[in-house]
Formats: sequence, C-alpha cells, structure tokens
Amino acid sequence: MEVFLPIAEVSVNIVAIFSLSGIVGILSGLFGVGGGFLMTPFLIFLGVPPTYAVANEANNILATSVSGSTTHYLKNTLDYKMGLMIVAGGVFGTLFGIWTFTYFKDIGKIDIVISLAYMYILAIIGTAMLVEGLGEIDKARKKIFTKKKLHVHYWIHGLPLKMRFQKSKLYESAFTPIIIGLIVGFIAAIMGIGGAFILVPAMIYIIGMPTKLIPGTSLFVTIFVSAIVTILHAFNYGSIDLILVFMLVLGSIIGVQCGQKIGEYTDSTELKTLLAILLLVVGIAIAYDSFFAAETIKEITRININSLNPLSIFIKKLSIDTPILYGLFSIIFAVSLGVAAAFIRKFFSNIKKKFFNKKNQ
Amino acid sequence: MPNLIKKLPSEIKKNKLKTGIFLGLSAYWGIILVGTLVQFN
Repeated sequence: MEVFLPIAEVSVNIVAIFSLSGIVGILSGLFGVGGGFLMTPFLIFLGVPPTYAVANEANNILATSVSGSTTHYLKNTLDYKMGLMIVAGGVFGTLFGIWTFTYFKDIGKIDIVISLAYMYILAIIGTAMLVEGLGEIDKARKKIFTKKKLHVHYWIHGLPLKMRFQKSKLYESAFTPIIIGLIVGFIAAIMGIGGAFILVPAMIYIIGMPTKLIPGTSLFVTIFVSAIVTILHAFNYGSIDLILVFMLVLGSIIGVQCGQKIGEYTDSTELKTLLAILLLVVGIAIAYDSFFAAETIKEITRININSLNPLSIFIKKLSIDTPILYGLFSIIFAVSLGVAAAFIRKFFSNIKKKFFNKKNQ
Repeated sequence: MPNLIKKLPSEIKKNKLKTGIFLGLSAYWGIILVGTLVQFN
C-alpha cells in the first residue's frame, strides 16, 4: 500500500514506515536511545532522500520527546535548570549545524556526508555497546564485581561560572552543560537525531546527575533542539513532509510507550548487546549502500501539482508559500500528539491502578 | 612480548567467541576506513 509524499516527491509503503517507526519506538522506549540514528537510515533505505529523512525524523523525535518528557513531568523527575543550560548551548550548536548542513548541500556533498556520519556514529556506538554488553555478561557469569569511584574529576570540572542545581544537588560550572549542548545541537542539526546517545552518557559521567533525573531532562532538552532543527529545515529547505511525519509520529509514540512498559519488566543487559549488533548491521548496510552499490540515476520527473490529491496540494502550497508557518504547524502537530499520548497513558495507568485496588479490597 | 605471542594460540582457542568478535569488528572498521579513503580520492 503506497502513498505519495508531496514534499519529498517519492512514494513509500505505509505499512513499512508505520511498522519500522513502531519497532524503533519500542527500542527507543526500552533503552532511551536509538530512535533517530536507526530511523533515519531506515528512511533512506526505503527511498526517502537523505535531506528529507533528516528533517522529518527531527520532527518525529520532537513528538516522541514531548511524549516522554510529559510523562516525566507528571512524575516530577526533571531538572529544568540543568535542561535549560544545555538548551542554551544547543541553540548555538544547532545554528552552527544548520550552517554546516547548508555548506555541504551547496557543494553537493550533503548525501555522502550524512551517510558517512551515520556510518561512523553507528560503528562507534555499536562497538562501544557490544564491548560493554559482552563485558557485563562475562562479569555476571564469572561473578566479578568491580568497585567504581563515586566521582571522577576531569578538566571540565575546573571551569569557572559555577552554579547550584538544586534538583540534581550539584554545584558546577555552567559551561559544562553549555558545551555539551553545543555538541548535541550540532550533531542533531546534521543528522536529524535527538542526541540522547551523547547527552545521557555526558549527564552520567561528566555532569554527574542522579540517574532518575537523566531520562526526563534528556528528553526535555531534545524537545528544544529538535524543534529548532525542524523549523530551520522547514524554513531553509522546505523539507518537512506532514504526511510522512504523521506516519512516523503515530508509529513511534505507540512504540515508545510500549517500549517503556516492556522496560519495567525486563533486564536490558542482554538486549543491549542485541541492539549493539543491530546498530553495527545498519552501519554495514549504509557502508554497502555508500561504497559498493551501483549508483542509479533517478529520473527527475516534474510533478504536476494539480494531479495530486487535495490534501497533498494543500501541504505543498503551504510549505512553499508560508514555510515558517508550515514549520510551526509541524511543531504544534508533533507536540500535541506527544502530549496527548502521555496523558492517554496516564489515564489508562490510573484506571489500571483503580481496578487492581478494587480487586484487592 | 614473546610470552604473549606464545600464549596467543591457546588464548584464541579458549576464547573463540571473543576472537571472532574482535576479527569481525576489525574487518568492519577496516572496510569503513578504506571505503572513506577511496571515496575521497
């Protein structure tokens, strides 16, 4: 069952997009990372051009991060001050990332840059996760327990402009979260990912935040970073396709909620190793596609706008005539779906608690 | 170093899985790096 995307000007299989976004959503909900840098390569494999895959996946990440962040807001497990400091760096990082994206697009190298970036990121993360996962399994089998130092100080902990972060019970330099935000924003703008795979380890090992505040704060930061990426892509390149976004968001939100629920009942150590293998396999597929697959010359056929269905015509005209409004609409759409999903989950969770309380009485 | 070289065959036999993973990852990284160099030449 194919659908034509009016902005990307390609046809995609609805079932494939919806299923893949659901599966990636489950993995993302289970591990807290892996949504963006799995889904964008999958979109490229399904025939969506890389520049459109990056932009639309950023919009999808906005929805899922709003959904997850709202859940954490309801549980009060968010450090807003720390999050806003990271966002401050993220804004500049995103702007610099978009400038870099524009530069490579203008010289015609953006597709290979995106492919190479994904190849190396997936290789680095897959290798690190595989080695760590196998090491943990090995230690668990041999019953080896290693004592780790409570705090390890690097040069970054000596930076000036120290501030108190009451929620995280930390006293450290404001430059630390700002620099981390810079790096996250830059990578998010080029690759269309949330940046959690950098943010979460940085929060644990560099900032030293309490574990329970990390997922919520990470998702909170991702909201702003992905919103800026979405609007800049919509304004600069007109690459947001609402039909694709709708399919991605629906699948991802359902998947993330299921993944979070599964995560409450499973031990993720062995599953982490499987995820690492999956990341490496996707990296190999991108490497094959970039280095060995024969280049197919795609016929550029000009689409007559009047031959599209009314919804596609409306979306096409809106994106051309009012790109900022279109970008804002994409953001509002993603945010609304994200918040709705979080409240629906809370509603069913409350019903379940009341049902079990009544049963036990 | 000579001890390490002497122990290597027995270590490889003992840890076939780890050796396999190590060789696999090395090949993977080799392909990526060589492919990148070829692409930009």
